[in-house]
Amino acid sequence: MRGKQSNIFASLDWGVLTVYFLLVFLGISNIYAAVYDPDHAGLFDLETEHGKQIMWFGVSLFLGLIILFLEGNFIRKYAYWIYGGTIFLLIAVLFTSPINGARSWFGFGGVGIQPSEFAKVGVALALARFIDQNGGQKERNRVRKNAGLATLWGVIPFISKNKSTAFILALPCVLVLLQPDAGTFIVFTSFLLVLYREGYAGNILLFLVIGVIIAIITLLVADNSFLLPFTKIKLTGKTGIIITLVVLTGVFALLINSFVMKRNRKSLYHSLFGSFIVAVLFVNFVELGYSNVLQTHQKERIDLVLGKIEDPNGKGYNINRAKAAIGSGGFAGKGFKSAALANASQRHVPMQSTDFIFCTWSEERGFLGSAFLIILYTFLLVKIVIIGERQRSIFTRVYAYCVGSIFFYHFMINVGMAIGLAPVIGIPLPFFSYGGSSIMAFSLLLFILLKLDSERKIVLQ
Amino acid sequence: MRNIDNRKYVIALIFVLIPIVFIIRLFYMQVVDDKWKERAAQISENKILTYPARGIVYDRNGEKLIGNEVYYDIRVVPRQAKEIDSVSFVKLLGISMEEYMEKMNKARDYSMRKPSDVVRQIPPNEFAQIAPELYKYPGFFEVARTQRVYPKMIAAHVLGYMNEVSPADIEKDPYYHSGDYIGRNGIERMYERQLRGQRGVKYYLQDAIGMATGSYEDGAYDTLAVQGKNITLSIDSDLQAYGEKLMENKLGSIVAIKPSTGEILCMISAPNYNPNLLVGRHMGKHYGELQEDTLIPLQNRPLNSAYPPGSIFKPVMALIAMQEGVVTAKASFPCNRSLAGCHNHPTAQNISDGVKMSCNPYFISLTRRIIQQGKEKSIFKDAAIGLDIWAEYVRSFGIGTDLHTDYPGGVKGNVPDRQYYDEEFPNRSNPYGKHRWAFSTIQSISIGQGEVLITPMEMANLAAIMANRGHFYYPHFVKSIEGGNVPEIYLKKNKTMVDPEYFEPVIDGMWRVVHEPGGTARRARIDSIAVCGKTGTVENFKRISGKVYQLTDHSNFMAFAPMENPQIAISVFVENSGFGGTWSAPIASLMIEKYITGTVKDSLKEQRILDANLIPDADDIIRE
Repeated sequence: MRGKQSNIFASLDWGVLTVYFLLVFLGISNIYAAVYDPDHAGLFDLETEHGKQIMWFGVSLFLGLIILFLEGNFIRKYAYWIYGGTIFLLIAVLFTSPINGARSWFGFGGVGIQPSEFAKVGVALALARFIDQNGGQKERNRVRKNAGLATLWGVIPFISKNKSTAFILALPCVLVLLQPDAGTFIVFTSFLLVLYREGYAGNILLFLVIGVIIAIITLLVADNSFLLPFTKIKLTGKTGIIITLVVLTGVFALLINSFVMKRNRKSLYHSLFGSFIVAVLFVNFVELGYSNVLQTHQKERIDLVLGKIEDPNGKGYNINRAKAAIGSGGFAGKGFKSAALANASQRHVPMQSTDFIFCTWSEERGFLGSAFLIILYTFLLVKIVIIGERQRSIFTRVYAYCVGSIFFYHFMINVGMAIGLAPVIGIPLPFFSYGGSSIMAFSLLLFILLKLDSERKIVLQ
Repeated sequence: MRNIDNRKYVIALIFVLIPIVFIIRLFYMQVVDDKWKERAAQISENKILTYPARGIVYDRNGEKLIGNEVYYDIRVVPRQAKEIDSVSFVKLLGISMEEYMEKMNKARDYSMRKPSDVVRQIPPNEFAQIAPELYKYPGFFEVARTQRVYPKMIAAHVLGYMNEVSPADIEKDPYYHSGDYIGRNGIERMYERQLRGQRGVKYYLQDAIGMATGSYEDGAYDTLAVQGKNITLSIDSDLQAYGEKLMENKLGSIVAIKPSTGEILCMISAPNYNPNLLVGRHMGKHYGELQEDTLIPLQNRPLNSAYPPGSIFKPVMALIAMQEGVVTAKASFPCNRSLAGCHNHPTAQNISDGVKMSCNPYFISLTRRIIQQGKEKSIFKDAAIGLDIWAEYVRSFGIGTDLHTDYPGGVKGNVPDRQYYDEEFPNRSNPYGKHRWAFSTIQSISIGQGEVLITPMEMANLAAIMANRGHFYYPHFVKSIEGGNVPEIYLKKNKTMVDPEYFEPVIDGMWRVVHEPGGTARRARIDSIAVCGKTGTVENFKRISGKVYQLTDHSNFMAFAPMENPQIAISVFVENSGFGGTWSAPIASLMIEKYITGTVKDSLKEQRILDANLIPDADDIIRE
């Protein structure tokens, strides 16, 4: 292996690396602006968040370099061990004393480590390894194509047939819910995108979209009651939805009866009535889950984003201030360190340097800066998809999709929350939000991908 | 397999579509929709208003008539005001528990973090008691403000008063904010813009709990407060105070004007009130009391009441007749008592006699010549032509016209003309109407009775015209405004339609009114000063439950002095007091003497006026 070292750097994807450095650099400058305090104006002042972030970035780079000098095969080989290690940390963290009502942190003398951030790395590696190993089974276990709505029937058999996959994913999900950390749990659902790409659960995205629409309608009307047209019977919103579903099913049944050849009708009827039953169950599930499982503040966040309640100075305080900060940025922004709202010392926008970091950027850099940042992330995401697709190694491809999906979820929820398109879920914006664990975990995810990608030709050899 | 390979496009599409949605949303929020910018400004920006001191008002000798005095408002930030010993606090502030609770509830409703008033306008001496104790009550603090003070305690009607702006004021002039004070009457209102100055604004950024964290845009939009302008009035505060003393226990008015400039030296409306009553936290109560007073102390009689002028109108008739050429200075008319009642006196041989003796038939005969000039055969048509000529003359004396006095509101006198008797005569069954009236129908106007009305200000102006021999300046209060001159309008000389030479016989008569035996105003005589005057006794009819009663006459007097180079022209009107010579003339002479010599020698005359109580009580009026 002569000239291996130069080989690594020559085969690295410098486009992704450039975007990475750009995001981290902009991120640190943005944290500097967000928490700017004339008493601690030094860039490397370790008292400040930007100073600490620089330190964590240094640690991340160090870890990244180590990874680059490892063998790709080594990572693949020890994927389960890494997974096991992070799972161990997730279990161990449950025995710490809670901070802000959640057991999410290991404290080491003023430095906090959040194992759930690193768990993403472990799960991504384990999932990649598992699908890679069982790649041959994929064809067999995949649900029949062209099965249409009947796929739903396959959900339960699907899980039972892919117990291992389900286990790899479900275990950390359960553990983070025990902390509790709903945000990370939602990020773990991003692996559904990977499964989709790998051919599992064929129409899972379609069902997700239909499910989300039904859930939104249910939540919007469930509390309301209305009069059945032409009568004086008062009905709840839920009954209304179910009646609508019955009518829709009837219409589809009539359509099938009129336009579909006889021999195809039977399976379609099955699908239709199956879907109907699942939909009715789902509506009840959503309603029950909303009213019995979710905590009050979670319900309020959902109500706020659906527009069911408005309370700019109370329950909607966060999001109202965040939107005001972003909206006031205008086209070109107010300028570096000039945020009047999204500045930690003003205390208007909460969680300024972490969950709502996008507000500072958006207020100071305006629409131009915001659009630039979004394009930067989009470039990174698309680039990761391209990297994934150019791999011969299934392991690397699955891993790439895992990284892409995780980044995408963080980006979508964090920015969507700040601009009022998603409920408030406290998860960081990759490379931008302040936080040692998150910048290290995101850097690890990316550097492992870069390392694996750099060996794509070696695999070929 | 194809199906699965397509899925990468689906994922890439999702990775691109969501960011596109975000960019559209951001474009809408940041560029298209201004809602969030307004919201941000509302959240993060605030302003402090700096109030300039209101202009000081001085009299013509530099004595302070209106000043500013510091007072204190106690304010509260409800969030910080917890665990207060409210019982002792209420005692300290001198308010009731109910009032305190009400204010606190209101403050909490308004904002927990922003201050609200608890007690307003505490004077410095009372605040001195509160200040050392205030630290025991966290959340409460004082704000020093200024309020008006009237150190001389005079000229309430001239100076006016201030009170809080109404929603209507704010709508009319967005300069004002709720809680601001505005001049409501008199000089305070007339010169509101000059006196108030210009408020300053300082914009700042505030944090989530409303604390200032820096200036907004480096103060680019801040403005400095501009001090209100000081105003010097033409009022002579000694004369004003003296006049107010003389008019105690009387109803009526005194107006004195400096004839050579039109400056108002004093304007007294009796009964008056202490202007300091309408300042401070008890203002509302005092205002209510003044408003309910049946003697209407809030009414500014010199500018807001019009009375028949009575005999002081006669010199005007003489002047018009001579100018029109219908009589000469030597005209004599018999005292024909079939025309009107009169008193015993020798026949008036000329104009001067007529004025001195104030002979009613003399002036009726004389005015007949003005109005019935024989220009038309029909006496009705002739009278109509003559009356319009007459009215034009009378108006040139400022009567019934706008005198442009710098005072808000006010009424004008009434000069009846052809149109008036033809159409507007204020009676349900107009006895007149077109071509149904001639001089004999309206002859009482020639002796200042009937439909002629005049305000005390117009009377004083008439006296000034006499003093000036035919011209006048609009009577005004302002002498100078800091950094500016008297408005042009007050420098303009207004000429009457009567030439100066015709004034001499009339003025001779007015001198004889005061100085000769048989004159009607002997009580107005001052040894050292040649006073020219004319008395008036105004018949006072009052309609009480449908019946017209004749009440005690109004006493009226106009004068100027000295005869040559006059320094003061004055009108005195005392309601329900009898003959002009009895009350108004001596009051006028005391005022003249006070103004010209600075003292009053005739203490007997002075004492008689001071002792007199001429306020009729309501029972007397009914009984009579």
